[in-house]
Amino acid sequence: MKLLSNNFFHQLVSRAIRTDYLENLTGFAWLILQPLMLLAVYAFVFTTIFKARIPDASGVSFVPYLAVAFWPWTAFSESILRSANAISANAALIGKVAFPGELLPLSTVTATFVMHMAGYLAVLLVLQLMGTDIHWLGLLGAIPVLLFMFIFASGLALLTSALQVFVRDVAQILPPLMTFWFFTTPILYSSSMLGDQWASLIKLNPMTWYVERLRDFLLLGNYHWSVSDLLVPSFSILVLWASLVFFRRCSGHFEDFL
Amino acid sequence: MRPLVRLQGISKFYPRVHRPGERLRAFAALMAGREPQDGVEVLHDISLEVSAGQSFGIIGENGAGKSTLLKVLTGVITPSKGSVEVNARVAALLELSAGFQPEFSGIDNIKMKASLLGMSSKQLDRRMDDILSFADIGEYVYEPVKHYSSGMVVRLGFAVVAASDPELLITDEVLAVGDEFFQKKCIRWIESFLEQGNTLLMVSHSMYLVQKLCTKALWVHQGRARELGDVFPVTQAYLAYHEEKNALEKQQRHAHDGGSGLYCVRKFTFLGHSGNEDPVIRHGEDLEAELILSSPDGRPPVALFGVMRADGTPVYGVASDFDGITPERIDDRLFRFRIRFKSLQLLAGSYSIRGHAMDPEGMRLCDSSEHRFTVSGQSREMGFIHLPHQWNGGD
Repeated sequence: MKLLSNNFFHQLVSRAIRTDYLENLTGFAWLILQPLMLLAVYAFVFTTIFKARIPDASGVSFVPYLAVAFWPWTAFSESILRSANAISANAALIGKVAFPGELLPLSTVTATFVMHMAGYLAVLLVLQLMGTDIHWLGLLGAIPVLLFMFIFASGLALLTSALQVFVRDVAQILPPLMTFWFFTTPILYSSSMLGDQWASLIKLNPMTWYVERLRDFLLLGNYHWSVSDLLVPSFSILVLWASLVFFRRCSGHFEDFL
Repeated sequence: MRPLVRLQGISKFYPRVHRPGERLRAFAALMAGREPQDGVEVLHDISLEVSAGQSFGIIGENGAGKSTLLKVLTGVITPSKGSVEVNARVAALLELSAGFQPEFSGIDNIKMKASLLGMSSKQLDRRMDDILSFADIGEYVYEPVKHYSSGMVVRLGFAVVAASDPELLITDEVLAVGDEFFQKKCIRWIESFLEQGNTLLMVSHSMYLVQKLCTKALWVHQGRARELGDVFPVTQAYLAYHEEKNALEKQQRHAHDGGSGLYCVRKFTFLGHSGNEDPVIRHGEDLEAELILSSPDGRPPVALFGVMRADGTPVYGVASDFDGITPERIDDRLFRFRIRFKSLQLLAGSYSIRGHAMDPEGMRLCDSSEHRFTVSGQSREMGFIHLPHQWNGGD
């Protein structure tokens, strides 16, 4: 964690935020607009065409149900997709200056999360103003959940960015993989809408736990914790640790492959 | 003295990674901890120790592995074999523009580069004025770096490195960029940096710069350490190697030196230097050579001696008939010439001397023989011959 207090890391994060989001005027607007438009499309398709309803959450309409899960998912998937290229895109730097290379994907993940969390907060406010009952006290539970999601994303970002150096196809495989992951996570639907067989299968997906706990805390006011809730956070930490070990093992050889 | 840098048995092997299959195989080998199957060995078994306060020059031809060696030193690449130990605050100037973002302003890039060199933002605030005055690019610092000339980028880069207060400075051929004024400024800075007891490791093709700034040198040749030691012998050996290489090329270009004429060179030797090795003569010593010529008709031939640099540049030539010399007759057909160059004024380097057999009229060159010799010395004089001189004026 000493890495994250590094001045170079701060510079990288602020550079990423500025180039990716703030450099052009529309950048910041897009950050809100893009997920908002997707959300509108999904809301139209599911509520107007399919007449989808949320069976277990009485009183919660579909749009907030979707939005609460959709924003964190966007941060998660975008941070991994963006950081997959973090090493190859900085080949010139890697080959010339010695510095801990893990800072590159980590800074991308951090910048993406920082920006999307700002958007998330704005969306929650808007939902509240539109009449949805947001359980603000639930933020106390939601923030640790988001933090573990950040840890999970960081681990996967380290893994994919290192792998991408050796296997160029990773950048091509990743987007369809993330789409697949999106639909196998109960974001557009609720796991209770599935049969028992499928529901238990979908529980194996760590992202299921994340989105469901976020809904519990922020929408349903369900602040209940159990020991099984430690499973996914521990798994996320394990992923980060293993990826860091893998990344450091590879990082001395990046230059050979770039 | 505490060794700042210790390299032991460094080898670097680049796997072949052009095709996807090769990448995968190399990656698998890497994961399994095995040596890659095929590739290029860029460095082979190089050991080097640098103590605090030393200045080390690394020289060698293009592609010899100098830059790779520096990358190993700075930790940018991991050697395939051997160990690297660096106990110092290092600033590397492998490429001055590394870490610069063209879209960002000079100020932003200074911040980035400074953080890369381990400066905290407080330290940077204090040194910002120094950096700006050293770089001396005026209002341009607020412009995006993409509008800079290459010289300005170099100035900015060097200014940040100079401000980072390193103990060990590692530079590649970077001082070659930038205008003369800035180059001198950099050299002055490096000199004062060394005077403060700091350590320098530099790669350069300029022997002048290496001799000026360094006390020790390493000659890397085809990935191996060819010579390691004090700067003068190593740089001289390197220059001699180059001169010989040039001469060889020249010889190959016009290999028409015919020569079994009537008058032949029978024997051409240095006096006072036995053995097969090329003699080494100290600057200022005497050089004495003997030439035995045969003459088919018994008339005494003319001997011509020529001294040239190893690359073939003529230095001096003299024939026996210029000076009205008659040779010592050994028998009917053989004549002996001896020549002594008193207190040889050639500067350190590699040279050769030729003995020619000419007809008695001194008109036609019939045969030649050549020997190499080396002049040693520690002078920083330039050119290839010492001209006696005195400085006037002043005290």
